Amino acid sequence: MNKPLSVFVLLGYTAYAASAQDARQIMTEVQNRTQSKSEHYEGTLEVINSSQKISKKRWAYDRLGVYGNSKSELRFMAPPDVKGVALLVINHPDRASDQWMWIPAEERDRRIALQDRSSRFFGTDFSFEDLEERDIDRYDFKLLGDDKLDDAVCWKIESRPKESKTSQYTSSLLWVRKDRYFLVRTDNFAKDRLVRQISYRDVESIEGVWTALTVAVVDSTRNSRTRLTLAKVKYNLPIKSGDFTRENFRQ
Amino acid sequence: MMLLRLISWPYVRKHRLRSLLTTVGIVLGVAIFAGMHAVGDSVLSALSVTIDRIAGKTQLQVTAGEAGFPEDVLERVQSVPVVAAAAPVIEAVVQSGIKQEGNLLIVGVDMTGDRSLRQYDLEDGDQDIVDDPLVFLAQPYSLIVTRDFVRRTGLASGGRFTMQTMEGEREFTIRGVMRPGGLSAAFGGNLAVMDIYAAQKVFGRGRRFDRIDIGLKEDCPLDKGQAALQQALGPGFQVDVPAVRGRQFDSLLHVYSFMVNLTSVFALIVGLFIIYNTFAVAVTERRAEIGTLRALGTTRSQVIRLFLLESAMVGLVGSTLGVVFGSLIANALAGYIGDVMLAHYGIALGASRVSLSLSLIVTAILLGTATSMFAAVIPARNAARIDPVRALQRGWYQVLSADENRTRQRAAVLFAALAVGCLVLGRSRAIFYLGYGCFVLGAVLVAPTLCMWLSRVLRPVLTVLRPVEGALAADSLVQAPRRTSATIAALMLSTGLVVSLGGISRGVYGSVVDWIDSFLNSDLLVLASENGTNRSFHFPDTMTPALASLGGVADVQRMRSNKVSVKGASILMVAIDMDKAAEHGSGRVVAGAVKQMYQQAAAGKGVIISENCGMLQNIGMGDIIEIPSPSGLLRLPVVGIVTDYLNQSGSMFVDYAAIYLRYWRDPTVDIYKVYAKQGASAEELKQRVQARFSQHRRLFVGLNREVKARVMNNTRQWLGMSYIQIAVAMLVAVLGIANTLLVSVTDRRREFATLRAIGALRNNVRLTVWIESATIAFIGVILGFAFGAIDLRYELEMMRRDYAGLTLDYAFPLRLALILAGTIICAAWVSSLAASEASVRNSPIEALAYE
Repeated sequence: MNKPLSVFVLLGYTAYAASAQDARQIMTEVQNRTQSKSEHYEGTLEVINSSQKISKKRWAYDRLGVYGNSKSELRFMAPPDVKGVALLVINHPDRASDQWMWIPAEERDRRIALQDRSSRFFGTDFSFEDLEERDIDRYDFKLLGDDKLDDAVCWKIESRPKESKTSQYTSSLLWVRKDRYFLVRTDNFAKDRLVRQISYRDVESIEGVWTALTVAVVDSTRNSRTRLTLAKVKYNLPIKSGDFTRENFRQ
Repeated sequence: MMLLRLISWPYVRKHRLRSLLTTVGIVLGVAIFAGMHAVGDSVLSALSVTIDRIAGKTQLQVTAGEAGFPEDVLERVQSVPVVAAAAPVIEAVVQSGIKQEGNLLIVGVDMTGDRSLRQYDLEDGDQDIVDDPLVFLAQPYSLIVTRDFVRRTGLASGGRFTMQTMEGEREFTIRGVMRPGGLSAAFGGNLAVMDIYAAQKVFGRGRRFDRIDIGLKEDCPLDKGQAALQQALGPGFQVDVPAVRGRQFDSLLHVYSFMVNLTSVFALIVGLFIIYNTFAVAVTERRAEIGTLRALGTTRSQVIRLFLLESAMVGLVGSTLGVVFGSLIANALAGYIGDVMLAHYGIALGASRVSLSLSLIVTAILLGTATSMFAAVIPARNAARIDPVRALQRGWYQVLSADENRTRQRAAVLFAALAVGCLVLGRSRAIFYLGYGCFVLGAVLVAPTLCMWLSRVLRPVLTVLRPVEGALAADSLVQAPRRTSATIAALMLSTGLVVSLGGISRGVYGSVVDWIDSFLNSDLLVLASENGTNRSFHFPDTMTPALASLGGVADVQRMRSNKVSVKGASILMVAIDMDKAAEHGSGRVVAGAVKQMYQQAAAGKGVIISENCGMLQNIGMGDIIEIPSPSGLLRLPVVGIVTDYLNQSGSMFVDYAAIYLRYWRDPTVDIYKVYAKQGASAEELKQRVQARFSQHRRLFVGLNREVKARVMNNTRQWLGMSYIQIAVAMLVAVLGIANTLLVSVTDRRREFATLRAIGALRNNVRLTVWIESATIAFIGVILGFAFGAIDLRYELEMMRRDYAGLTLDYAFPLRLALILAGTIICAAWVSSLAASEASVRNSPIEALAYE
């Protein structure tokens, strides 16, 4: 290889490596700033379909562990038709999560198969995969530059799952606020087609943890949206690991 | 075409009634052929549509017989690398509980992952068909129904209706409506989707699935995927394309197809004879015309073509009308056949109109036209041979020439000898059926000779009854055999068919009565479904001790049946408590030492098979049977053979605990046989069982006599199809005899006129015609009984060898025969009315001048 070209290639590689490193560093910091040993909140879920029909539900959410290596349980509290239905998610750092659903009327739990994770979560615009926590080590990141979102300056980062076969998304675009290292929006793509857009709003610092109190999902293919509003958010509660088992889950 | 217009058409117009009757012969044959095949085709088509629509994009299906398999098999399937989507399914047929709606096919699916395989008809993919999927999952009695169902019932989303479940009657809520097309089109629109785990609860399936539907990864060929899955699961599972399920149902209709084909073939043969008779008479009547044509230069081939063309026109018109009537017959029969399918095979077809496919219509028309033309071949050939000079002479043509008679007799003897030879030597199917064909041909060829002989025998009897009229009637038969022999042959065949099918029905009925006494020998039967054949519902085995501990109960025997594939055939595997079966008895033993065979089977060391299973699948004592189970392939020796009529393809009996629970891991029961303690009242015991269980559970409790009555009723329903043959026989009588008599009356105008001129009254002439018709019917019936008596032997052998594997006792259906004889003779009188009126209508002077 001739000298100018090799220098050029080396500079290009260095710039790429630097940008990748920066993107990863950014995401690491994002993850660190939302870390907590445990979490609890009560959520109100509104699903608005393409006919503008609104359905409302409430759930209680509990979580234990670090990001990507945690256990969480989500249990519906209202309306009465769905009270008691629950989802248990065991997140692993190195592989896909294990998920089970509990239906009180059937008195049994059922496993959500890996292949089913792309399906919608109980009629909302979240998919089962969206409820997983995936450690940043399972993604490749690339800094695309700066962007402005809702008057906030953000980094715009592209992420791609390293294990493409375990995700319904081939790539995602992430907007991270520079001032807070907080993820404010995710656009998820399946083969260049926008599938879902998740926005994190009404960000507050609760017990030192930046928290989005409103999460809005728009499903581009279905023309429907879901809004999750968090309330009574608490962190680092004394929750036991034993509370997140299938036996305990069956209430 | 000119000859057709100038010669044939005027003749047809002149003899309108006769032409009509001739055409009706083909109409009858084609209508029965088309109608019954249409119903059979519709049955299979409805099943195929349902299977295809439910399958959706499914490429392969994993099954393990009818009993299904435990849930953990799903993870094994999902872990196979070639699998892109694996969706478990449960199917059940239930009474909808809605008036006039009949059965509903419930498909239980896992909605979280099923959308990749099945179309629930989302338009643009952007609108839910379920109002709230979470509520749908959270409330087990939720259903998605079809738009068609909603339209018919007037229910809407949110609407409710009750259905029987294993927990008793429950109210179901409609939570979503599918748009037309795709899955909605299955089962005639009477289909509903529910959550699979809810379906497990509702239908008492425990933790089992019926099957798993699979979509393979894009780059994986079908055969590779099939091989990979089969290897992962082992030989106890079947991995097939969805269409295979439809082919399995095909074999269930084997016996129905046998009856349909037999009836259709005979109906067409009867039509053939009627047309032959008509054309044979037409040739003799038009001999002067033909002679004149020949004298003017018409060639023999032109004469042959003329008659063939005439017969083709008759065939075409008759076939087309036959197709129309066939469609009416098919729709009339569809409901009846649907009930038979449900009662006997547990297959519900879904409401749908029967329509004839284009291929069936074309086949029926071609068949009818070909039959008509074939029937006219001999008369056409005879017409071509007419000597123009002799054609103008009268009288000679009615007598069968001595040569012709001898030729027929020799041919008949030859065919009879061949038939006997094939019967004696024929182990192979081809020789057996060749022998049968020779028997039928021989019978048809000897019919004219026997007809003449019987006419001569009856003449003195008729003369004693009515000296003048009786003698005239008998002489008409003796002197004009061409006129009557074809009609009598047709009568012989149709009567014989009724007799032989009646004999089979009687044999089946008698055998079922014997079997049912030995098999259904408990005081009570507790069933999960009303007729015992619907395998959608099961009891949990936990019910067994509760039932056994009821006051008055001496013993309880469990029974769980489901179909398994053995040697490529669908065999009913019946799991029973063998020790109890040995104690209480169960079926007549055909082979094997009774005590020993039950002991071995109870220990899980052998299987007992039914006689028809052994016959149809070529399995004998000591042979090893390979039975696929979810736990692997079982290899068990045959330790006994019993008589059993539970399944047309055959059944086999294994021990419930030692085999079924162990290898199928399915603790469910279909039927309990409950034995009462000495002195206990069966009626009181029935009430106790209902009081104890019916509040919380779906069950049907029947006393022994009630269940037997229901089984016999179902048997009678199945055998009721033989009434169609009786109707065919009666129609043949009416058509054939009316046709013959019209010709007879026309031929004998001068004779009748002479009688009137010398003082005979109209009633004397009428009586002559009536006696002639009754005599034709009587001779036809006598020959039919003789033909039927032999034909019955053949058909019992066909049933044993090829269709049901059943050895039935030979029993001539005397009662049916006597009813049939009376009915046909009465029908003959009715059919003679037109001819008898025609015989007295014209003035004697005009008739005497007739030439």
